[in-house]
Amino acid sequence: MEIISVRHLAVGYGNVKILEGLDFGVPAGRITAVVGASGCGKSTLLKTLAGLLPPLAGEIVFGTDRVDYASEASLGALYDRIGVLYQDGALLNNLTLFENIALPIRMKLPEMPGEVLRELVHDRLSQVDLLGSAGKYPSELSGGMRKRGALARALVQDPEVVLCDEPSGGLDPITSGHLDGLLLDLKKAFGTTFVVVTHELRSIRRIADEVLVLRDGRLHFSGDLGEIMASGDEFLRAFFLRMADHDDA
Amino acid sequence: MDETKPSVVVLPHRLRTRDIPAAFAEIQGQLKRGAVTVDFGGVGEFDASTLALLSYLRRCAPGIAVRNVGEGLESAFRAFLGGTPPAACEVPVPGFPTRVLHSLSDKFMAHTRSVAKFFVMLSDAIFHTASYLKDRRGVYPGETWNQLFFMGYKSFPITSLLIFLVGVTIALTSAAQLKLYGADIYLADLIGFGMLRELVPLMTGIILAGKVGAAVAAELSTMMVLEEVDALKTMGVVPERFLMVPRLLAITLAVPLLVAIADAIGIGAGVVVGRMSLGILPSSFIREMRTAVGPGDFLIGLGKTLVFGWAVIVASGYKGLTVGRSPGEVGRATTESVVLSVSLIIFIDCIFALIIY
Repeated sequence: MEIISVRHLAVGYGNVKILEGLDFGVPAGRITAVVGASGCGKSTLLKTLAGLLPPLAGEIVFGTDRVDYASEASLGALYDRIGVLYQDGALLNNLTLFENIALPIRMKLPEMPGEVLRELVHDRLSQVDLLGSAGKYPSELSGGMRKRGALARALVQDPEVVLCDEPSGGLDPITSGHLDGLLLDLKKAFGTTFVVVTHELRSIRRIADEVLVLRDGRLHFSGDLGEIMASGDEFLRAFFLRMADHDDA
Repeated sequence: MDETKPSVVVLPHRLRTRDIPAAFAEIQGQLKRGAVTVDFGGVGEFDASTLALLSYLRRCAPGIAVRNVGEGLESAFRAFLGGTPPAACEVPVPGFPTRVLHSLSDKFMAHTRSVAKFFVMLSDAIFHTASYLKDRRGVYPGETWNQLFFMGYKSFPITSLLIFLVGVTIALTSAAQLKLYGADIYLADLIGFGMLRELVPLMTGIILAGKVGAAVAAELSTMMVLEEVDALKTMGVVPERFLMVPRLLAITLAVPLLVAIADAIGIGAGVVVGRMSLGILPSSFIREMRTAVGPGDFLIGLGKTLVFGWAVIVASGYKGLTVGRSPGEVGRATTESVVLSVSLIIFIDCIFALIIY
């Protein structure tokens, strides 16, 4: 079953189209990786899925609800169902890690009892293995810790879909592997759907159930990694071979 | 020289970027006299600029023929430029009136958009502050007090010092003139009226623009660049409310304290100068001042400063939250927020003057 359906989507800035004619679905409870060369529009697609950039044409249907980018109510409903892990974490620098993770609940549900909120944040911190860092500020955390903290914040509202912008970007292979393992555990335990923009074949191999390949602003291929490797498509073979070389380097 | 036979320019062995201008000048010089053949046979050292020159001569230079391009240069040309779409031989430049009209219309549209965005920010700020005061949601607990500490407590020393210095300067300048006419005592009226109604509001507004406005613009624009504002949106938090309301409330609470202290210090400066320069007793100074100014003047000054403070916060919030995504824009937004805030303060002050007087 698809949790997100994208139909005839065109996205861009002003009159410049970056993505065009996109049609695909994101299966529920699975991890979909979005790959493509730099500048092909992966992060732009993620922004549109996150409700931050209205499409120039086409539509996105979340479950059974069409996302109306002009309606605050529709966007509010979307934000209730998604979590976003930003490339650099985007934790608020003037709040501790604990407060960052508690923030979405504090803002949306101020009447939530403090004791329950503490338990909730504690659980999330425990899931990302950051219990000892709850009182630290983002500037006191390493890159990997910031990303795990940001993942905990993305998960705190129990979203149906988590959108991740290059979760392994800038991380060493061990930390990156740990983060991938975390996504797999969360998918297994809670049935969370992930859409992951990534450059790393190693990460795609580990986590992706589905792969969307973007090329020149269009969807070039969608399928699983096995189908990509088995396909005779020259671009895919060249692209994934280069990625493999890059990962091995 | 035979007019019908093309002259030949033999290019040197080393033809790299630094050597291209001289070679090109020689080719152009020969071309003025007639057709030219450019001989690449001797070229042994070359780089990307050499390939660009060859490409240009082959495609875009009427009257110029190319010969003896060596295999090394030719294969490099094929490898690097073979698959590249050729650059336009001439870039069309619109005529002067068209350029000026385009530039003016672009600037006009950009300014119109900026003004519209500013008013959207202003109405957002009013709406979110009003709705926060009604439902008390959407603002981080304690943030207003943090901002109040920064805007009030941390701005108090510099505001006091500058107001005192301005008070001394104005009092000394005025005292010298008043003495000429034997109107020494009216220094009290002048300082009281000037401080309460004009100098304290204006100076406080400008200090807030430089200190608070710059800090707010820098903080918000950094949050934009680091995607923190996007993160707030996707958490379902309204950034305009979360970020602007505590700052607006804090400035509303900080301004009366700052104005009261600044009024006292400014008048104190007048008292000191009056005593030292004109021999006016402080009690006489205060008694005379009270005949000229009253609580209404204090309230007018307070009202003006409050409006200046709101203008500073809205202007810096507008600059901070409409910034682009590159780190370099943080500095630009900060500078522009100060310029916009000070301009708004002076503009609003002028409107106040027209209304009040």
